[in-house]
Amino acid sequence: MRLSIVNSLDSKILIFQGVIYFNFESILSIIIRQQFPPERSPTVKVTVSQQQLAHGLSLVSRAVAPRSTLPVLANILVATDEGRVRLSATNLELGISCWIGGQIAEEGAITVPARTLSDLVNTLPNDPVLLELNPKNQVLNVRCGTSITDIKGIDAQEYPPIPVPDLADGLELNVSDFKEMIQQVVFAVSTDEARPVLQGVQMSVNGTFITMAATDGYRVSVRKAELEHPAASPFSIIIPARALSELARIASDGDQKIVMVTPPGRGQVLFHLRDAELVSSLIEGNFPPYDKIIPTSFKTKTILSTAEFLKSCRQAEIIARDGNNIVRLDIQPAVEGAPGVVEISAQSEETGFSEIKLAANVEGPGLLIAFNVRFLREVLDVMKSPNIVLQTNANNTPGLLQQTGDDSFIHVIMPMHLG
Amino acid sequence: MPIHILSDAVASQIAAGEVVERPASVVKELLENSLDAGASKITILIQQAGKQLIEVSDNGTGIPAGEVSLAVTRHATSKLASAADLFAIRTLGFRGEALASIASVSRSTLTTRTQTEETGSRLVVDGGDGGRLEHLAYPIGTTVRVENLFSNVPARLKFLKTDATERQQVHSLVTRYALAYARVQFTLMDDGKTVLQTSGRGDRREVLASLYGVDTARQMLEVVFDDGEFTIEGFTSPLALTRSNRREMTFFINGRWVQDTALNAALVQAYSGLLMVGRFPISVLFIQLPPEEVDVNVHPAKAEVRFCNSDRVFSAVQRAVRRAVMAYSPIPAIPPQKLWGTAAAQTGVTSSQAAGLDWQFAHEGGISGEGQSPISQAAQQAASIPDSLPAGSLPLLRLIGQIGATYLVAEGPDGLYLIDQHAAHERVLFEKLMEQRSTEVIMQPLLQPVTVQLASHQAASLADSLDALNSLGFLVEEFGGNAFRVRALPAVFSSSDPETLLRAVIEDIEEDESPMQTEIEARIASRVCKRAAIKGGTVMAQEEQLALLRDLEKCQSPRTCPHGRPTMIHLSVDLLERQFGRRGSR
Repeated sequence: MRLSIVNSLDSKILIFQGVIYFNFESILSIIIRQQFPPERSPTVKVTVSQQQLAHGLSLVSRAVAPRSTLPVLANILVATDEGRVRLSATNLELGISCWIGGQIAEEGAITVPARTLSDLVNTLPNDPVLLELNPKNQVLNVRCGTSITDIKGIDAQEYPPIPVPDLADGLELNVSDFKEMIQQVVFAVSTDEARPVLQGVQMSVNGTFITMAATDGYRVSVRKAELEHPAASPFSIIIPARALSELARIASDGDQKIVMVTPPGRGQVLFHLRDAELVSSLIEGNFPPYDKIIPTSFKTKTILSTAEFLKSCRQAEIIARDGNNIVRLDIQPAVEGAPGVVEISAQSEETGFSEIKLAANVEGPGLLIAFNVRFLREVLDVMKSPNIVLQTNANNTPGLLQQTGDDSFIHVIMPMHLG
Repeated sequence: MPIHILSDAVASQIAAGEVVERPASVVKELLENSLDAGASKITILIQQAGKQLIEVSDNGTGIPAGEVSLAVTRHATSKLASAADLFAIRTLGFRGEALASIASVSRSTLTTRTQTEETGSRLVVDGGDGGRLEHLAYPIGTTVRVENLFSNVPARLKFLKTDATERQQVHSLVTRYALAYARVQFTLMDDGKTVLQTSGRGDRREVLASLYGVDTARQMLEVVFDDGEFTIEGFTSPLALTRSNRREMTFFINGRWVQDTALNAALVQAYSGLLMVGRFPISVLFIQLPPEEVDVNVHPAKAEVRFCNSDRVFSAVQRAVRRAVMAYSPIPAIPPQKLWGTAAAQTGVTSSQAAGLDWQFAHEGGISGEGQSPISQAAQQAASIPDSLPAGSLPLLRLIGQIGATYLVAEGPDGLYLIDQHAAHERVLFEKLMEQRSTEVIMQPLLQPVTVQLASHQAASLADSLDALNSLGFLVEEFGGNAFRVRALPAVFSSSDPETLLRAVIEDIEEDESPMQTEIEARIASRVCKRAAIKGGTVMAQEEQLALLRDLEKCQSPRTCPHGRPTMIHLSVDLLERQFGRRGSR
């Protein structure tokens, strides 16, 4: 048993058997202690392009909490920051910031209602927008072309402090690779709020190896990759799936690198891009040990065309979705010159019946196995190779899907039973 | 203090604590004695909410002079001879504790005469100390006078509620017994005022009126059920009449008022899908079953009972009530004073007067008729109908048109119907989907089983129904202690948390509902509502309107949507005539 207290002074973080535990209260206190830059600027006066402003607002708006009991969380922070304009939004679990270029006449910060500002900016012409704060009444004056709008804001001092990361110890991730990793696991999380751990994606890093995994109890998606630079120390965290989806959305391929930081003791993870940053609280708890349930040997190996298989699943789902989402795969090995075939069928008392035959390369004995068609469709959607491998043992043991010639991505699905 | 045997007086007071809790419990014990004595007339007198005086007189068989002193000692009864009799009890009392208990906490006077004796006898017991037996002239029957209740148990006195509450308890108790024993003439006098007087003619609706008011009593539906072994009679509320709590569900088992949560659950289940969430019916049900089927010796005050075959009792209750409700639930009619308040006022007849007159009418019908109101004849016809009700519980409707793109207007033989198109379509789709529901059981096994730790009583009920559960698509196995392992869930519920789902299903089992029925219904209802049902504000072609009306007529319970809201409002011909002044209020 390995047990080490990393920060022994106030023991906010505890590593026990490779799992990191955070003390939630201490994280809160850190968030509260960390004040927004105390030098309060009297006013804001900046000019930005309408297009950039609209784009920036659309990125950060996703983290706004429109129905919070804390009114300031429905606002977006507009602040000057080292020659650029920073837009930030947070719902205290997820925070997104982005930076846009602009001419800064006077430095300062203000928060304004997210919807009001976004809706307004979206209707403005493609001209420079002048944002000017009247510090006496905290009103932001927005001028563009012939339009002049005053938006009532809330003092930026009331906005939750945004952590300033130390990017030096960060982990460098390649944007396009990391986006693909996210895509390939994030759909498998559970939507059930009763099990928060399953609403997250586990990320384990050891040396240059990074593994991401997600499961909802019926399927597990595991994607491995290699890092260019090894991590200083191995760790394993659970990141909310929503944060990762948002990250994949805001990370544009123009960015080369994502720097990931997990500041010790905060229970947070921060992803830094060139012009944007995303902070998310981590999920505490034990991720199910999925390694044990991934079968290692199989009786039947079926190779199918990814596109054909996906199309068939989509067709079958039209019939199956009103029933129990069940599709039956009848896997038949090649016999006497006739090639192997997989018959995909769906039946619903309400809708009808569908059957599709797919040519397949089948090694091993035939099998009739039933799956939730949504599970199949979702994983096939993120398979990149032209062909996929489906490996099975029996109709009541998990099936495994993989890209051909690639072990980095595996997806395991529990079949359905006819009682 | 050394261990010693308690004196009789102390022991009686302790026993009294279980039986005699408040004035109402004294009244209950005495009432039951009178009923057991075969009285046809019972008079109850209370003063100061029973604290000063409770007197119950009856014209029953009386107690022979020689047995009077014995009657007030503990464990003395004429109703039971051997332990075997306990399992076939036909009397209300049997423990032989009531009189002794009451006597030990008050000053009681017992006066009685049997038919064979020439003089009556009287015994005064004060706080448990018996006096001398006197002889005096007295009519046949028994009177028990209980004075200064709890005066020697100050602690108990302190725990009594306000006079108003205690009085209310006595009233509701006597009224309920009067309902159950409609052939017995009850009189209840409270501080000199007559609060309840029943005729003893056997008309329960009359007593019902004094319990719930004339209006409510008129609306209550009659329940009649007889399967050879069980009979259930009584009243239950139509859909329009509900309460926000379960307090108005009264059950009599073999003439004994009992409180049983499972019976309550069966009753509520009978209304499932018909009432809005958080609304409960008003019911008074009298259940007769063979005495050996029920164990009443569970609770000192006999407020609880156990059934040998509880499932059968519950399903009988559910079926009896459901049938009554389905057959008669009137469409929520608009009370005139609500719809056209001013018009009603102008006619100069207040609603209470009108109701009173109506009541009189129904009452006369009860006397002059064949001892049965039309509704009870209908109820008996319904009872002979097998469980599946005729589909057309809605009269044939003639479509008039659509108003406000939201409601359909139709004419029936008995007036005008306004139908909410969204609610009606929901009902139609709901019944269609319930019928089409796949009977195929599909399991979605979990990658890793989930272990659920249950409370021991839940574990016991789950262990009993594992097979039933597993046939529904679960795969649950015992895992030692009170733990269970869930290996698979029914595919329809695979998006739920296994533990939450299992607990919900156990609750169903514990409430004797068919497991998952409610979950399935709720799921289909929400699906219907979200996706398919036509929304209010949609203009429909005449053919569509007609089709909806025809489909609704075919529904099993066309009058409510799956969430329990009404699908239609009925304006009866009678109401229209009254509102237009064509006919005065009856």
